[in-house]
Amino acid sequence: MPMIEMEDIKRHYEMASGVVKALDGVDISIEKGERVLLLGPSGSGKTTLLNCLSGLDSPTSGQYTFNGIEVPRNHSERMTSFRRENIGYVFQFFNLLQDLTVLENILLIQELSGKKDEQRARDLLDLVGLSNEVDRFPGEISGGQQQRVAIARSIAKKPNLLLGDELTGNLDTLTSTKVMEALVKACEKEKITSVFVTHDESLVKYSTRVIRVDSGKIISDTVVENPE
Amino acid sequence: MSALLNKRLMRSLWRTKLRLLAVVFMVSVGVFAGITFGGYSHNLDNMYSTMHGDDEEGANLADLWIDNGSIMWTSEQVESFCSELNERWNLTSNLDHCEGRSIVKGAMFQSTDTGSVTINSLWHGIPVGANVDTVWMPDKHSKGRLASNSDEIVIDAHVTEALDLDLGDMILIGAGNSSAEFEIVGIGFHPLHILMAPEGTFFPPEEGDYVVGYLSDLGMERLTGNTVGSSNTIMLDVEGKPSYDLPDTEEYEGDEIDRVKQIVEDVLEVENLDARVRDRGQYEAVEVMRQDLEGAKRTTVPFTLMIAAIASITIILSLQRLVQSQAREIAVLRTLGVSRKSLLQGYMIAPVIIGGIGCLIGCLLGPYGANWMLDLYQDIVGVPIIKRDIPLTTYTTVVSLTMAVVFFSGAFPALKASRIDPLEVLSGQNEVKIGSNIIKKITSWLPTTLSLSVRSSVRKPIRLTMTFLAVGISLMLFGSIQMISAGFENTLVSSIEDDQNWDAQVYVNPGSEGAVVDWAEGNSCEWELVIEMPLGSVEDSSGVARIFTMVGLSDFSSKMRSVNLLSGDLPEKSDNELQVLMDEGAMKFLGWEIGETRLVTLNGEESEVKIVGITRGELSRTMYFDREDLTQITGVNATSVYIMMPDGVEVDFSLGEISVGIVERVTLLNGVESLIEKQTDLFQAIMYLGLLFTIAVMLNTMIMNVAERDFELATLRVLGASTTRLGIMLLFESVLIGIIGGLIGVLFAYLGAVGLAASFSSWQFYFPVLLVDSVAFELLFGVLIIAVAMTPIGIWRLRNMDLVEKVKDLSN
Repeated sequence: MPMIEMEDIKRHYEMASGVVKALDGVDISIEKGERVLLLGPSGSGKTTLLNCLSGLDSPTSGQYTFNGIEVPRNHSERMTSFRRENIGYVFQFFNLLQDLTVLENILLIQELSGKKDEQRARDLLDLVGLSNEVDRFPGEISGGQQQRVAIARSIAKKPNLLLGDELTGNLDTLTSTKVMEALVKACEKEKITSVFVTHDESLVKYSTRVIRVDSGKIISDTVVENPE
Repeated sequence: MSALLNKRLMRSLWRTKLRLLAVVFMVSVGVFAGITFGGYSHNLDNMYSTMHGDDEEGANLADLWIDNGSIMWTSEQVESFCSELNERWNLTSNLDHCEGRSIVKGAMFQSTDTGSVTINSLWHGIPVGANVDTVWMPDKHSKGRLASNSDEIVIDAHVTEALDLDLGDMILIGAGNSSAEFEIVGIGFHPLHILMAPEGTFFPPEEGDYVVGYLSDLGMERLTGNTVGSSNTIMLDVEGKPSYDLPDTEEYEGDEIDRVKQIVEDVLEVENLDARVRDRGQYEAVEVMRQDLEGAKRTTVPFTLMIAAIASITIILSLQRLVQSQAREIAVLRTLGVSRKSLLQGYMIAPVIIGGIGCLIGCLLGPYGANWMLDLYQDIVGVPIIKRDIPLTTYTTVVSLTMAVVFFSGAFPALKASRIDPLEVLSGQNEVKIGSNIIKKITSWLPTTLSLSVRSSVRKPIRLTMTFLAVGISLMLFGSIQMISAGFENTLVSSIEDDQNWDAQVYVNPGSEGAVVDWAEGNSCEWELVIEMPLGSVEDSSGVARIFTMVGLSDFSSKMRSVNLLSGDLPEKSDNELQVLMDEGAMKFLGWEIGETRLVTLNGEESEVKIVGITRGELSRTMYFDREDLTQITGVNATSVYIMMPDGVEVDFSLGEISVGIVERVTLLNGVESLIEKQTDLFQAIMYLGLLFTIAVMLNTMIMNVAERDFELATLRVLGASTTRLGIMLLFESVLIGIIGGLIGVLFAYLGAVGLAASFSSWQFYFPVLLVDSVAFELLFGVLIIAVAMTPIGIWRLRNMDLVEKVKDLSN
């Protein structure tokens, strides 16, 4: 059974200028352990698809099951519970809490999900190559380091699915490489399924599957040979 | 270009309606408070000047009173005195009037459903055509006319409602052993009886328990049997208003009236008259009300300043936040090439418009506030404030100060924002702030969620400090008055309620106590003789003679009136030295210490006294003696008799007849409590304004805190934090702010109470300030509850957060 099963997912927005079809009948099936890259131009619907996958947004229609169970929609608290139990999220601008240290940023997420484990937090920071920065504040480390902390934070609670929206969009090429390598390493070690939105074709090599989206529809779905 | 920019700014500001309204509200409140207090203070000045005026509308308050309560001078003696005075008058100001008057203590007998009630009273015999200390009958606030016939009386307006008296009613009144019926022909006021309390006490009994009436001289003759012209008081009215010493000031202002007094003393000696001479500052009933009025006026200054400070802090915080939230837009416009000058124009105009609207609302509502405060004071004093106006200068001063605060608090952050590097703002670098290692160490032991709450709260230390300062000042408004009232009630009421067990204090003429003692023994009552005379005086450090009351008690601890000994010992009889107790107010003013021997004047004779202890619970300055010692000094055995009555025995007509006044303890207590309540009523408006400010300030800060934390709350929500978890975080933060704010509030309230008490306290009145636990806890929990009550707003905001939009924001 696939981990994620989406059938004929639609997400339409009522606007003054008319109905905007951000997603218009998307079918996706993702198996456990896959690293999926969602590629597409601006306004193609890839972020809306990510939001629907994460339970941040509710599809207008269609079926969405996660590990065989229907994902809640239009109910803020149930959707939050779904995210808490299953989803890890990495933002483009890292969104680390400036008042907490690197280590505390990870501990906070563990604490909120009821799985506080400081040793695991330290191990994760070691995994992303930041064991020497645990007591620093986010403002004291570089953007690439902050994104790696964000990755460690997102997998700290052992999510089933890790999502990322343009997570290297704010980084230079060299730093992007470091971040993606850390991400792949972490996902493999933790056996986490991941879906990332990007328009950077160079990231294809870090994925196992590439889904291209345009005008709210999937236009191609290919498996990547020999991913890094 | 500018017009479009300004339009953009207005629309942009309009999007933050709540914050915008908060600023307009605070500006309005600040202006409202300024005009209310300014107008109130200005019009209080008119109050007594109208009443005391030497014109057709006024009652022409005397400048000097010459009286003797134990004898009655004949009309010839008075005429001779006045004639001699006129002959010796050598001052530049003319002596306008010298008039005799008969003022006698007595009783009013009123029939009620349960029988006859004897009411302690005072009767004036005022001749038709009198020029000094006349009855004041202002249009629309009094009724009827002055008494002219022998069976007519004017009743003081303070008591008519309580006693259900009106024009045409017949009342039975007495003085000494005689009584007669009079018809009420007028209801008016008298400048000596604004404080409706018998001489010797500052506490007016409950309304209707003390009556003052104004007969004609013919009426007084009919009541007392004394011939027309007999007087026990001579009043002098000097041209203009000779200055007299104000007892509540350090300076001595009494030179002008002293010259008058000197002539009067000489004439009294020549005429062989024995009398007490008092100016306005020494006439307690007049001075008490002057000081009350001054106190009421004086409080408006700190209250206005406190309100202005709170309003300013809130305006500064809110406007800064409002403009700072525009930083991104400013950066975008700067990137697009809009000049700093063009941008700033709008940000200069916006505060002016916001402030202008707030000022307009405040100016429109201000007069209502001033009139409301004046009505409150009028109700407390019981005298109408007829002339009311708010000068234009009050409006202009308040508005210009407020506008200056608004303008600078709006323009400054805009100037700051326009100077920021646009790239820094657009990349969010201006919001990157490295956390504090000290705070990290302090909070590292806490769970991370709570640690985050603490760190987020102190992220903007200046704002937090300003908030605490505003909360502190708000509670200074609310709590200081409560603390003074509680301290006052705690010391004064409890001293009468708990430390004393007499039922009635029966005043007697010197040597007449025997009849009262006989009455008491005949009714199986316990009794105790007391001497109480305001005939002590002492020079303060400035050389000004300060009058105090000498009280002689037979026993300081076990009898009906015991004293609350604060420190030291009770006096013991000794042949070598005169041991006394002194109240804490006098000790503080004089800077005396226990164990010191001091020179004082007692009943005109200088004498050395040794201070052996300090007492608490006296409003006026008091020195306690062993009664036998005081008898030796004054030659008086008792001025009143305390009586403790067994069940079934009550004050009756016969006791009224043999006394010169009766005060029942219950009545006194009710009077004190009612006075405190009335005074508190006046300040209640200010207190609740303080509470409203506390709520507004806390709400403002909480909303700003939550709004600023949208970023982190949205991040946590996306990462799966439940509303409950985040709610607990916000609650913890609120509790923390509430506790710290509450503690600061208690501290400010106490400091405010100390400051207010110092400003109210004078030689005549001393206000002790006690940190009453219940008030402190009330304040602390009040702030805590307000802070906690704000948590649902944060939770509501969380629940309604559009996460998809937020994620978009987080990704931009």
